[in-house]
Amino acid sequence: MKLFAGCVVLGLILSLPGSAPAKIKNKDLNVAEKVERSTTVSPQVTLTLCVQSGTISVRGWDKNEVRVTSNDADDIQFRRIDKSKDPSSPAKRIDVMVLDEAKAKNRLDCQALADVNMDVPANATVQVQTRDGDIRIVGVAAAYAGSQNGDITIERASKLVEAGSVGGSISLRDSTGRVTLNSAGGGVAMVNVRSSNSEDTIDVGTVSGDIQLDRVSNSKINMKTVNGNITMTGPLAHAGSYAFTLMGGDLTLKMPHDASFTLNAKVSERRSIVSDFALKYLSENPQSPPNPAPKELPAPKAGPSTPAPKVEPPAKHTPVPKVEPPAKDVTVITPVIVAKPVISSPYILRRFNAICGTGDATISVSSFGGSLLLKKL
Amino acid sequence: MNRCLDEATLQSYFDGELSPSMMERATSHLAMCTNCEEAAREIEQELMLLTSALEPEFESAVPTERLQQRINAAMLDLRVARAAEIKPSTGFFGSLSALFSFSSARSLGYASLVILLALAAILGFVKMRMSRVENQNLQAKNTVQNDKQPTPEPVATVTEKSPIKAGSPIIVEKPSPIVKRSGTRHVERVAPAEAKVKLIPGERSYLQTIAKLDTAINSDKNAMRPALQVEYERNLAVVDRAIAATRSAAKSNPNDPDAADFMFAAYQSKVDLLNTIADARLGGRSH
Repeated sequence: MKLFAGCVVLGLILSLPGSAPAKIKNKDLNVAEKVERSTTVSPQVTLTLCVQSGTISVRGWDKNEVRVTSNDADDIQFRRIDKSKDPSSPAKRIDVMVLDEAKAKNRLDCQALADVNMDVPANATVQVQTRDGDIRIVGVAAAYAGSQNGDITIERASKLVEAGSVGGSISLRDSTGRVTLNSAGGGVAMVNVRSSNSEDTIDVGTVSGDIQLDRVSNSKINMKTVNGNITMTGPLAHAGSYAFTLMGGDLTLKMPHDASFTLNAKVSERRSIVSDFALKYLSENPQSPPNPAPKELPAPKAGPSTPAPKVEPPAKHTPVPKVEPPAKDVTVITPVIVAKPVISSPYILRRFNAICGTGDATISVSSFGGSLLLKKL
Repeated sequence: MNRCLDEATLQSYFDGELSPSMMERATSHLAMCTNCEEAAREIEQELMLLTSALEPEFESAVPTERLQQRINAAMLDLRVARAAEIKPSTGFFGSLSALFSFSSARSLGYASLVILLALAAILGFVKMRMSRVENQNLQAKNTVQNDKQPTPEPVATVTEKSPIKAGSPIIVEKPSPIVKRSGTRHVERVAPAEAKVKLIPGERSYLQTIAKLDTAINSDKNAMRPALQVEYERNLAVVDRAIAATRSAAKSNPNDPDAADFMFAAYQSKVDLLNTIADARLGGRSH
């Protein structure tokens, strides 16, 4: 009897190591399962894709076909939403439905926890959204991307880019067209971005993230940050308009030595203005105008997709650069270095109007508590 | 007496409480019974021990049983005599007059009552004086505050019921107003009215928009994941600081339109942030 019991125990002990690898193997098999769907679409197709969590990667290719793959999803479906009279014609609008195993029964949209890769026509417009994962879009016509905490990287977009993130960073490279980038806590970086026509503007806004622009040649740029720093490097567009609004960060403009611009700056008296350029000083009125004319007040601008509250359509409040007529007795300062020590004094705004070269581009700076640095490349 | 003496009898024997005949018999029995003699000796020793231990107590006058009987009889006589005296004045007046009959115990009670009343009167007087001084100080402070306030401009009011967050820099809680009745020194508090806050022209629309967005976000805060919540609150604090700083500058420079522009830009940043958070919280496709 004892011999029999000993054999049973020994057998059980020997059988344990063999069962663990089998489980892992099964698990590995599940992970390796890949779902792939593809369909023929119009070259200018608009595609939407959203997942709850996971990385989204979109790549433009030279085919009129959409191919979506995922290793984590249980199922991928295409939902055609364009109202075409001919069902056999290629789709122009498609919702890509990614369903994972847990949510497949309920068919809940935007709830999948899956990494998704998508190949789309190069002229496609893609609209992708994820909550936690990163987004990478390369080689499409227009890209709309949104992520709560993930980073967004967009390259070679040809017509339009709109991206927003709460905590992640946004990077845009080698693209053309109109650009709107917003991030609350993350930084925004743009490299080699240009306009395809004169109406292509760049609007960038952050709360605490830094903004970096390198070789951005759009003719109209608006940048706004509450507590981040702004650094712009590269040549200015001819007759370009650059508006910078900062609350607490510093603004650094690194431009070629032959840069030509008019500078309209409003900088706190407590902060410094440092310029490597020879500026023709036009006027400076550190004191506030005694009785300014009544001014139309800006209305708050609510977002276009404000969810619950119906906010009145806002009036566009664009900072209008105040270009004063050139004074007859122009003072030439070569270079201008106006450094102010940081002292605790009452708020006084320094208005600083100057011209460099022929003043082709217009730079408007409104900085409540930051410094302004104009540096030569 | 051939039977042995029990303990109670022995105890009474030593206490001297036995009758003379009983005492005589007990004595004769003890002389011839060794057991009882032994028991009596033990009781006697115990008594001696007890007596030595309680000697101080025994030194005080303790009424004997006979004396106690005499005291009880005297008290009974006294009660009968007093009842006979009180009998003609029974009823309400009788009880009233009984209140004023000053026996030694009652006089002590009345004295205590008088002392208590005197103490209460002193305390009340002191408290009344203190409250009067406090009211005068409060009244003086209110007068100074009223003097400090500049000439009223066209101001907007924000009620305390406004949904604007408490963290917002424009919320000012005022103490409950005090109304002084003319001709009297009496000062009374009235129910708190609307807390008036001076808003810079144009500020109201931003505050209303922010309040709407804030309400929408807070209506279902559970929909916000912790990571988003943290990011939201971090950036909200940054924006609120900017609003506070720019608003302070705008208030101290009322003739500077640029100062107001900075404040509006800060408000717009908050509107943008709240829009972003509201959108991110909901998620989903937007066609």
